[in-house]
Amino acid sequence: MATTSPGQASHPADVDPVPEAHAPPGPVAALGGSAIDLFLGGKELLSVFIRTLYYSVRGKREKGAFTTQMYEIGNKSVFFLSITMGFIGMILVYQSGLQAKRVVPDYTMLGATYLELLVRDFAASIGALMLATRVGAGIAAEIGSMVVTEQVDALRMCAADPIDFLIVPRFKASVIMTTVLIVWAGTVAYLTGAATAYVAFDVAPQTFFNMALIDVGDVSVGLAKCLAYGAAIPVVSGYCGLSTFGGSEGVGWATTRAVVNTSLTIIILNFFISTAGFLIFPG
Amino acid sequence: MSVETGIRFQNIVKAFGPKRVLNGVSFDVHKGEVFFIIGASGVGKSVLIKHLVGLLYPDEGEIWLDGEEISKFDEVRMGPVRKKCAMVFQHSTLFDSMTCAENVALPLRKHKGLTLKESVAEAKRRLHVVHMQEFGDRYPPELGDGMRKRVAIARALTLEPEYVLFDEPTTSLDPVSARRVDKLIRELSDTLGVTSIVVSHDLSSIFTIADRIVMLYKGHVRLLGTRDDFKHTPDGVVNQFINGRAQGPMDL
Repeated sequence: MATTSPGQASHPADVDPVPEAHAPPGPVAALGGSAIDLFLGGKELLSVFIRTLYYSVRGKREKGAFTTQMYEIGNKSVFFLSITMGFIGMILVYQSGLQAKRVVPDYTMLGATYLELLVRDFAASIGALMLATRVGAGIAAEIGSMVVTEQVDALRMCAADPIDFLIVPRFKASVIMTTVLIVWAGTVAYLTGAATAYVAFDVAPQTFFNMALIDVGDVSVGLAKCLAYGAAIPVVSGYCGLSTFGGSEGVGWATTRAVVNTSLTIIILNFFISTAGFLIFPG
Repeated sequence: MSVETGIRFQNIVKAFGPKRVLNGVSFDVHKGEVFFIIGASGVGKSVLIKHLVGLLYPDEGEIWLDGEEISKFDEVRMGPVRKKCAMVFQHSTLFDSMTCAENVALPLRKHKGLTLKESVAEAKRRLHVVHMQEFGDRYPPELGDGMRKRVAIARALTLEPEYVLFDEPTTSLDPVSARRVDKLIRELSDTLGVTSIVVSHDLSSIFTIADRIVMLYKGHVRLLGTRDDFKHTPDGVVNQFINGRAQGPMDL
């Protein structure tokens, strides 16, 4: 290879290198641009998910990372989730009781119907939406800060894949702890619902605690949702964190996008898993 | 005296959205030299060196490292390049949850597959090179900026790289710490033959330890030469920059 002689310069005087002026895009171009961005974003998100699964099996375990994330995602969410699900349980039973009173003034199946709804849908979906706000925002903010302070670049320089190093421990911890938390939160919502039914509608706990409507299909669908939401929260919010650009404003945007996108993903997954559940377990 | 070219940037173009940051940048870096890249803030100095290790990819142009064109390498093929070219980031970028020794040990564990115990023992030896051996068990937030920078340099040197990229190594350091870092960079070149590429606007560093300097301006190479070439250039833009004058022909 040739060497460069001292003093060699390639500057063409003081010409501004940004000559093109860009006209604002029309509505069709803007719509097309958004569609392309959405497609590319979806493709990258899928790539992050596949790599997360790959490294979950083949990656190297970082000592302490998994248990730390179990504590961060699980233990630290218990109080928040218990309070919100407790109140939601009370509201749901009170509103259901008022509606039932107008149609059939019979509360014998109130507890059984409420339990079926909790197991099949509400506990997992509402609980996961609550977790998305706390856990998803936290993951995106932490990883986003690491991106803007070049710590993620430093990881890549050390041959540590950011997905393996940052997302995989959160993914494994979230799948387990989301399931555990939702079972716990569902129990809390059921108990506060029972208390509300007793106080507001005089339904005895023996009548309310009725498991007659619960079958394998309800438990399977509920469990599938727990696992799917537990996987979606760290992957979507981790992807939002890794795609951060700019400074602190970028981290703010990443956090907002994480909460919005994770919530949206939970609702879409809910639709597909519920539909599959009704097809597989029609009864 | 014959010189061997280690790195060649050839017509590098990089844009972020509509903004073209680099617009056909070309220059060579010789093996074993301390090479400075200077220019105003936002001119694309850090962007340029990140292309060398695959943290960014050019829109156009080629990057040659030891006779191999690397600008289109994927993440896997970049592994050996990153072993050969270490980088010290502007803000040190040590991981707060790890001790200094564990930070330095990370590349050994990931690149060489050493165990935590083996790599930490080796890392403590590396910390000795930057006079930080007593701080191996301390966490980065407990240290000052200068000390963190030296630990980051130790981490970069862990894999015995042939090239080290320093991104504003003396920014935010006190003058004494800054000169110590300068001395360390010079020593690396003189004693170990390491090629250093330093992004900086620290005039004191530039005119103390640089073998050659390139100045970027408006996406192009404005001047490439030795310290004397820069001191004696008639170019008003370069003169304004190296003398740190507020008034002049520079368009910021």
